[in-house]
Amino acid sequence: MVPNSGLPEGSEGNAAIAVRNISHEFAGGRATLSHIDLDIAKGEFVTIVGPSGCGKTTLLNLMAGLLSVQTGSLTINDHCPTAGSRETAYMLARDALLPWLTTRQNAEFGAMITGQGAAERRARALNLLRKVGLDTFEDAYPKALSHGMRQRTALARTFCLQAPILLMDEPFGALDAQTKLQLEEALLSLWQTERRTVVFITHDLGEAIALADRVVVMSGRPGRIAAIIEISLPRPRSIRLLQKDPKFHELYAQVWEQLEQGLNG
Amino acid sequence: MSDSLSRSGAGLQETRKLPSVVSRLWVLSRATFGRLALVVVLGLGWQWLADSGLLNPLFFGAPRGILDRLYDGLIVTGVLLPDIWASIVATLIAFALGSVGGIGLGLLFAIFPRGGGFFEPFLTAFNALPRIALAPLFILWFGLGLPAKIAVGVSLSIVILLSSTLAGARSVDADLLVLARTLGATPTQVFFRITLPSAVPTIFSGLRLGLIYSLLGVVSAEIIGSVNGLGVQLTQSAGMFDTNGVFAILIILAFLGTVLTWAMNILEKRLLRWR
Repeated sequence: MVPNSGLPEGSEGNAAIAVRNISHEFAGGRATLSHIDLDIAKGEFVTIVGPSGCGKTTLLNLMAGLLSVQTGSLTINDHCPTAGSRETAYMLARDALLPWLTTRQNAEFGAMITGQGAAERRARALNLLRKVGLDTFEDAYPKALSHGMRQRTALARTFCLQAPILLMDEPFGALDAQTKLQLEEALLSLWQTERRTVVFITHDLGEAIALADRVVVMSGRPGRIAAIIEISLPRPRSIRLLQKDPKFHELYAQVWEQLEQGLNG
Repeated sequence: MSDSLSRSGAGLQETRKLPSVVSRLWVLSRATFGRLALVVVLGLGWQWLADSGLLNPLFFGAPRGILDRLYDGLIVTGVLLPDIWASIVATLIAFALGSVGGIGLGLLFAIFPRGGGFFEPFLTAFNALPRIALAPLFILWFGLGLPAKIAVGVSLSIVILLSSTLAGARSVDADLLVLARTLGATPTQVFFRITLPSAVPTIFSGLRLGLIYSLLGVVSAEIIGSVNGLGVQLTQSAGMFDTNGVFAILIILAFLGTVLTWAMNILEKRLLRWR
């Protein structure tokens, strides 16, 4: 399997997510999305960047089944997305931890709701907490955790679900640069071992490039796809080392140019 | 040599631990000491005003007389004890019934918001009613015994718990509901795993208030008419111009209310460790 391949023509059957000519309007006739076409392959890591209000979250919510499709078609593994399906896991910008549960219980929460066995989900949760560096905090309540630790718990909760597709809405948007770097590394190493399909929204271009196989650049109001840029950086990647990689900066300039064109056009 | 070293090391650890306990006790006792000192100073001032004739003891009583009454009623004759017991029992029963009813109704309203919306104006109207005004009616229906007092206590506490339960259930973090939706949680799961635990802190503040209002309802019913209870003692003392007796009862009531609130706080701390 080549995880960073874009989809060639005529191979839609392999797409985990197929977006066809999607447009979306909110009440009052304000268009947020216009004619979006996008195929995302199984095991692919796609990031979406764009100015605020360009409909990134709307697109993600359509994929999650939180909004219903108005025009066009959108399929997840060849059928319509529904909220609460076992195929997708959603990670919010805010941690959405349950304050009355401990770190371990929070990490297990999604798996518990989706009906995984107690012993199995507990083992998974503890394993994931170790991977995100929170195993010594398993009995702490969220109030005792820092912002970054809370978001790491939410990351463990998302990965504890066995959903093959992860939809992430600016999960690290509110973190400081240092914490963000730690979480990006944690996310990459988790993804590296399981290779699930990821759609990741961010407003941070560096983050978008460092994580992705492809970066989707959107332009604003109504949101259109301005460009899709292949990120041919080798994996496994180290986010820290990428900062010194000339290829990374080349790609950054390329994405930035597309974004700027989208802003002006 | 090494033995003495390790021993001194252990000593160091102990002295490091010890001051924190001592200082904590000291902080606690300093506050308690301050409060006691305030009571003593006010008591002495009051006694001095009464002795010097500036305050008429017939209307305002005096601490020495109040203490005599308390000592007599609680220890020597024990004449107040059955009444204290009667009021406590009635308060606890009224509180239990009001809490179960209020929380139950509040949760029902939260689960069926349309039904809740239908009944809300009636609830507001009932809440606006001075519940003490219902006491004569309850006495007419239930007689001068325990049930009438309980009814007044429940009429107050049930509304408090209903509204705090409802407020708690409505204050659920929207992010948690989105999370539940994406996880495909069933309505039952959402209720027991998210809505109910979210409401618990608000329900607890309702419980603390409900307990005090149960006591208030019970004592008011006793004042209006009952065979026993602190409210009865209060009206009797007042009727006989026994001001010291009235103050003695008031002190007992204040003490009861404080102890009940304190017990609730301990329970809350135990159950809401995550806060």
